[in-house]
Amino acid sequence: MAEPFEPAQYVPQAAGSVGLTIAPEDLADVISAFSVLARVAAQVMAATLPEDIVAAAVFAPDSGETQ
Amino acid sequence: MSGAASASAIAAAVRSGKRSAKDVVRETLDKIRLEDGVINAFTAVRQEGALADAAAVDEAYAAGRDPGPLAGAPFAVKNLYDIAGLATIAGSRIDRDRPPASRDAALVRRLRAAGAILVGALNMDEYAFGFSTENTHYGPTRNPHDRTRIAGGSSGGSAAAVAASLIPLSLGSDTNGSIRVPAALTGIFGLRPTYGRLSRAGMRLFAASIDVGGPLARSVADLAIAYDTLQGPDPEDPACAQRPPEPISHLLGRGLDGVRIAVAEGYFASQGAAEVFAAVERFAAALGTSRRIELPAPAVARGAAMIVTSVEGAELHLDDLKARAADFDPKTRARFLAGALAPGAWYSHAQRLRRWYCQAMSEVFKTTDVILAPTTPYAAFPIGQIWTEIGGAKLPVAGHLGVFTQPLSFAGLPTISAPAAPSGSLPLGIQIVAAPWREDLIFRVAAAAESLGAAQSHAPAP
Repeated sequence: MAEPFEPAQYVPQAAGSVGLTIAPEDLADVISAFSVLARVAAQVMAATLPEDIVAAAVFAPDSGETQ
Repeated sequence: MSGAASASAIAAAVRSGKRSAKDVVRETLDKIRLEDGVINAFTAVRQEGALADAAAVDEAYAAGRDPGPLAGAPFAVKNLYDIAGLATIAGSRIDRDRPPASRDAALVRRLRAAGAILVGALNMDEYAFGFSTENTHYGPTRNPHDRTRIAGGSSGGSAAAVAASLIPLSLGSDTNGSIRVPAALTGIFGLRPTYGRLSRAGMRLFAASIDVGGPLARSVADLAIAYDTLQGPDPEDPACAQRPPEPISHLLGRGLDGVRIAVAEGYFASQGAAEVFAAVERFAAALGTSRRIELPAPAVARGAAMIVTSVEGAELHLDDLKARAADFDPKTRARFLAGALAPGAWYSHAQRLRRWYCQAMSEVFKTTDVILAPTTPYAAFPIGQIWTEIGGAKLPVAGHLGVFTQPLSFAGLPTISAPAAPSGSLPLGIQIVAAPWREDLIFRVAAAAESLGAAQSHAPAP
């Protein structure tokens, strides 16, 4: 079973992976914003999709096909 | 006759020689100078250039040449559109350092080629990441109906300038609701076209796989003539469809015969103020509609839209986030930084979910042509408000404004936000939604609603 996710630990660690330095005065706000995203993402990731559903390279709203 | 007149009326007067374009533009510039200090819709005014363009229109008329279908009609654009000679600031302090644009954005060029006169650039949320146009760098844009309240966003300047009758027509952009939300909160019409319908070349994008540009106006006729002018393929925008223009202005009087309309229920009838849902009911009743429809998974679609937006927006600005994060607006900075840290699986799954969602929405359109839904969950709130409470839940008051717009744009659907006939002191909007590429249907419904009095742009109280 996965460990409970802690945005306060993840945010400073992940920032380094993309070369970002988060100023101390911004850190609480970034953790808060990331927590919102993580809550939303949990709902999105819980939606199971058939394997044949592919993302479009260029999004075309009516084709359902990769362009 | 200037900002208070419609673009169509101005063009008719200029094309028949009853008014000179130069007089119209002079009046417009005077009105902006006198009245925009409070509204704060404009971030740049094109004084000399606009007068020179107007003179060229008048010369064309005098020489017997066609000055264009929008001859002499003033317009302005959200300041993420390139305007030749100006830096495209996109609501930011950072982009003030960019060199001036060498030419106009494609949609600006198309309006100017039709004789419309570009008079300036309009305020917005920084990099379009917001719904309230409470821009820290350039100040908040105020709602002409109540100047203590927001005008909505992120195309807040585009909506407020039209609602205040400073100009008859503007361009905005819409990722998650940024044309529809401010149009609704200021009581005007706003069009989000099908994703890929209009060229975005020369626009500073936010989330490229969702972004569109589109017009805002006080009447369906003006919205239609602008839309017809803006259409056409453009190889400079890789997302712009290779479709010939499909004009719709001549369809506006066609009525509702054969159009199957339904009101979105469930998700779209909760999470908002009672007056909003009452406005939708009145609007539907005026159109003779009693059908209801439940749309597939709107909450999940909204969540996926938030992920796609956050990730694409953050990646676009990653270099500046690394080098000068402190120069971002405090209202966007943390959200951009958070988006840069999202795992790749979130983004990929959200984009795959989007394909599934489009297919599910296609099923809906087999039995329904047009969907009605509220544009926002409440009317404009006071500038500076942070939180609201809906059904006992504490929510960010600006972020929640997109609850009804985000799921629909995620499927790329064409939508008009139409101003509901006034029932209270503040405007509300109704979304009129159709299948991809069926702008003809939403224009027909909007025109019918306008002629029935169900949709009505109304002037702010003096």
